[in-house]
Amino acid sequence: MTLAETISSALGLEGAVGQFVGGFIGAAIVGTFILANAAVAGPWAKRKITAAFTDRISVDKLGPLGIGIIIPDAVRLISKELIVPEGVDRPAWDIAPLIIASSAILGFAVIPMGSIGSVDLQLADPEVGLAFVFAVASIASVGLVMAGYASNNKYSFLGGLRAVAQNLAYEIPLILTGISVVIFAGTLQLSEIVATQQQSLVELGPVAIPAWFAIVNPFAFILFLAANMAEVGRNPFDIPEAPTEIVAGFQTEYSSVYFVLIYLGEFVHIFLGGAIIATIFLGGPSGPGPASIGLLWFLVKIWGVFLLTQWARSALPRVRIDQLIEIGWKGMLVLAFANLFVTAVIVGVLAPL
Amino acid sequence: MSLEPPEPELDVGETPDGELDYDELADLLGEHVLDREEHVNAKGFVIRPDSVETVLATLREEAGFDHLSCLTAQQYPDRYESIYHLKKYDDPTQELSVVVPTASEEPVSGSAAGVFDTAIWHEREAYDLVGIEYEDNPDLRRILLPETWQGHPLSNDYNQDQPQIVPLREHANPMEKRTQVPDRSDTMFINIGPHHPATHGVLHLETVLDGEQVVDVDPDIGYLHRCEEQMCEQGTYRHQIMPYPDRWDYISAGMLNEWSYARAAEDLADIDVPEYAQVIRTMAAEMSRIAAHMLAIGTFALDIYGDFTAIFMYSITDREKLQNLLEDLSGQRLMFNYFRLGGVAWDLPEPREQYFQKVRDFCEYMPGRLEEYHNLLTSNELFQMRVLDTGILPPEEAKSYGCTGPVARGSGIDYDLRRGDPYGYYDELEWDVITDDGCDNFARALVRLKEMEQSARIIEQCVDVLEDWPEDEREIQSNVPRTLKPDHDKEIYRAVEGAKGELGIYIRSDGTDRPGRFKIRSPAFCNLQSLEVMAEGEYIPDMVAALGSLDIVLGEVDR
Amino acid sequence: MIGILKGMATTMKHALDGETFTVSYPEEEPDVSPRFRGVHKFSQERCIWCRQCENVCPNDTIQIVMDDQRNGEQYNLHIGQCIYCRLCEEVCPVDAILLTENFEFVGDTKDELAYNKEELKNVPWYKDLDPLESREPDREAWVGEGDGEVDYQ
Repeated sequence: MTLAETISSALGLEGAVGQFVGGFIGAAIVGTFILANAAVAGPWAKRKITAAFTDRISVDKLGPLGIGIIIPDAVRLISKELIVPEGVDRPAWDIAPLIIASSAILGFAVIPMGSIGSVDLQLADPEVGLAFVFAVASIASVGLVMAGYASNNKYSFLGGLRAVAQNLAYEIPLILTGISVVIFAGTLQLSEIVATQQQSLVELGPVAIPAWFAIVNPFAFILFLAANMAEVGRNPFDIPEAPTEIVAGFQTEYSSVYFVLIYLGEFVHIFLGGAIIATIFLGGPSGPGPASIGLLWFLVKIWGVFLLTQWARSALPRVRIDQLIEIGWKGMLVLAFANLFVTAVIVGVLAPL
Repeated sequence: MSLEPPEPELDVGETPDGELDYDELADLLGEHVLDREEHVNAKGFVIRPDSVETVLATLREEAGFDHLSCLTAQQYPDRYESIYHLKKYDDPTQELSVVVPTASEEPVSGSAAGVFDTAIWHEREAYDLVGIEYEDNPDLRRILLPETWQGHPLSNDYNQDQPQIVPLREHANPMEKRTQVPDRSDTMFINIGPHHPATHGVLHLETVLDGEQVVDVDPDIGYLHRCEEQMCEQGTYRHQIMPYPDRWDYISAGMLNEWSYARAAEDLADIDVPEYAQVIRTMAAEMSRIAAHMLAIGTFALDIYGDFTAIFMYSITDREKLQNLLEDLSGQRLMFNYFRLGGVAWDLPEPREQYFQKVRDFCEYMPGRLEEYHNLLTSNELFQMRVLDTGILPPEEAKSYGCTGPVARGSGIDYDLRRGDPYGYYDELEWDVITDDGCDNFARALVRLKEMEQSARIIEQCVDVLEDWPEDEREIQSNVPRTLKPDHDKEIYRAVEGAKGELGIYIRSDGTDRPGRFKIRSPAFCNLQSLEVMAEGEYIPDMVAALGSLDIVLGEVDR
Repeated sequence: MIGILKGMATTMKHALDGETFTVSYPEEEPDVSPRFRGVHKFSQERCIWCRQCENVCPNDTIQIVMDDQRNGEQYNLHIGQCIYCRLCEEVCPVDAILLTENFEFVGDTKDELAYNKEELKNVPWYKDLDPLESREPDREAWVGEGDGEVDYQ
């Protein structure tokens, strides 16, 4: 049973009403869960991780390890004055943060997050699941362009342009690499992709190495990781923001709640990137132990990707915009095509033999 | 070295033992020389205002004076005077002053801008503050003060009570100005700074972009102009000036700045410094240098890596360790006020052994940390991709712009006053001048990293020397009169190797216990001028990197 | 690629070694050198009102008011304007003004930082550190030195 069905049957509703109410409440639960993760990541985990890399203590006064800082930070961020600069393009300027924040959450609708008892923690499982995730994930760049263009600020404008250029250059290798997985799995449906990875690849005595695509095709995994860094805009590819070059890029003019939305959107986006990676390369919620702790494994994986982005931030320089475009179009795209071709040859020609 | 270097060809006016023959130089200039003046370590030739360019060009081409170190302008009761302090990059002890008097009524002088690019800014400053007009200067605008300022504050007839309130509408509109560079249709004018994360303070770069590329950049400085020179003119030589040098380059380089004043004033007033104090000074100054370079490297990494880089925090950590040592020594972490004319304020802290141990521990700890910096910075391929062959400053341009310090040494110019014009205890110690022929952002960062190693070497040797110093000869200050009154009209220009380059002080005594004219030759001011050469045609990120590699401190640029 | 990994390994090493350089400030105070120059402490009992400190102060932070008989009435020091150069302590022949190691002082307005002699007297010693102890040996060299005239005004 899916989450939505469980809810509607618990409420005793049936038919279209049941589907709607169940889906609605289920979506609220998943959305809240993801936002809660982002709330832990933004004001607290990011500080603690950065502090660990830089030999500092960071927040430690409220709650265990200072985790209580989330509450004052939320109050502080929301209660700040919203400054609307002169000459901004009003509806676009207001909508942009909403798009950035909502598009990333939308992607979680189709991500399988394991199951609790007989309830599948997956809102919807369409046959084009992977295509849907990629599609909604890239809506965010529309938000970036809107923010950059509507802010009436040259830095924002540059940031918006950079965001477009970067997303164009990296979306294609990202999706191409994703397609190579689809060729292996033979389906776009995410639950099927996860299921394909459940078999074991090799048995080494008691230890069974699962057929995660990261292990089957590590090259594609690394390529996808790198392209994903650019997709979520983190070092070495945090060029649309690039605080030391263009102040804060597209978000220069945003303050208060709008800033929170953009900030939140970025974190959710990182988690969505992590969720995609987990789903198509790391076996989704699978892992040692009973199936009921699948959600835990899923969280470990997406937080692992989050940790990786913060690690890269602490150690890797930002590349220049022209270098980024060059890496994207001349490097990654070629490699992604090569990967796709080789995968296709292996799956289509060699495997049937 | 196994091979003797070939005997260098002597410039005109140079004697085989590296001294200057001023008579020969006077002959070279012929009738241009109207008179001769005595300055403490450089004789001065008085020339006519309209022959500035000819004289400087002759001196540069034929006598080898390729370094216009500084330009000092001042007003006397009967005349204005500009002094061009010339040096040679090969041998900074060969100094010459070219004195250009101009009439009080109409202070118009020729310009040196055609010979030395660095003269453009120096003359702008002289025009701004003193009011001398340099006829052929291509860009004679105000530089430190706002363009709407009324009068020239250092001229004698300046009315200090005149209100300087100028309404906003009379200022140039920053948005309207130069939105297009002629011959280019689709350019964008953008103000980078004064509030920008990467301008290292309140620097304002008026930049014209073509897409992401910089077409034109014009640094606008003066936001942090605090009249440091005039504050020094208000203070007495003996005590009151010394706290202020700490505040020029306030990024840990205090000891080096203090030394620049101490050296100039000691030479002006003929004060001897005990050898023991010189060793302590050398050690303290090198600690300051490491601290300053640490910050330079950290902020450079910040510019390239983004604001969550760990390198910045690592270098700040190391800088803190040095500041602990300097605090033990001087009592403050940044504003040391440790030097005194004729020595230093305090002997090493007791117990001495413990302090030596702390310093030694730091010197042992340094190489490991430097290796980390090399791992994080120089050996990182992405970093190399970013900084190699960007921000090119060819040596000829560097000389013309008067670049010194790590910026010049990163362009392969072997110029270091610690060795070229020795002071303190440097000539007794073993260390190397680091140069790199890269001329790019990478070379400048690399030079700083390697210089830290050399500084640690110097500190270690100083500790050895201090440890063996006999107890009854630990003289930290010579006997200096409470009130210093150098002779009337005695002039001196003296420089030391600061963290950023040649930090020079010009002092003219007027017979009282306060300087008549105090001029600071700020290395960051001169280095910053070369940003145009480095940045034009590059991308914005490279301009930011070039700015970071220049390592400017706005407190020193604007004074 | 090797260089990138080396860089990442270096930061990870720092993350895992668990050492921190910062301290949890109000609970844990970093050490202050005995020579550290903090807020002034003034002793009216010692002061002989020679006004040398007022004279030597580079930025007119110290203001002394005396009556006709040259008896001291006021001793004002703006600790927010002071640049902590320690010259006043250095010239004082009787150690009437000292710079304690106390660096913790706050005020809601700048006016609150203008201390009179009572407030200066009540400045606490920092961790019972006596600044004179660390400074005495060198003070000897300073006091009574120099050939020039001593200006007691």
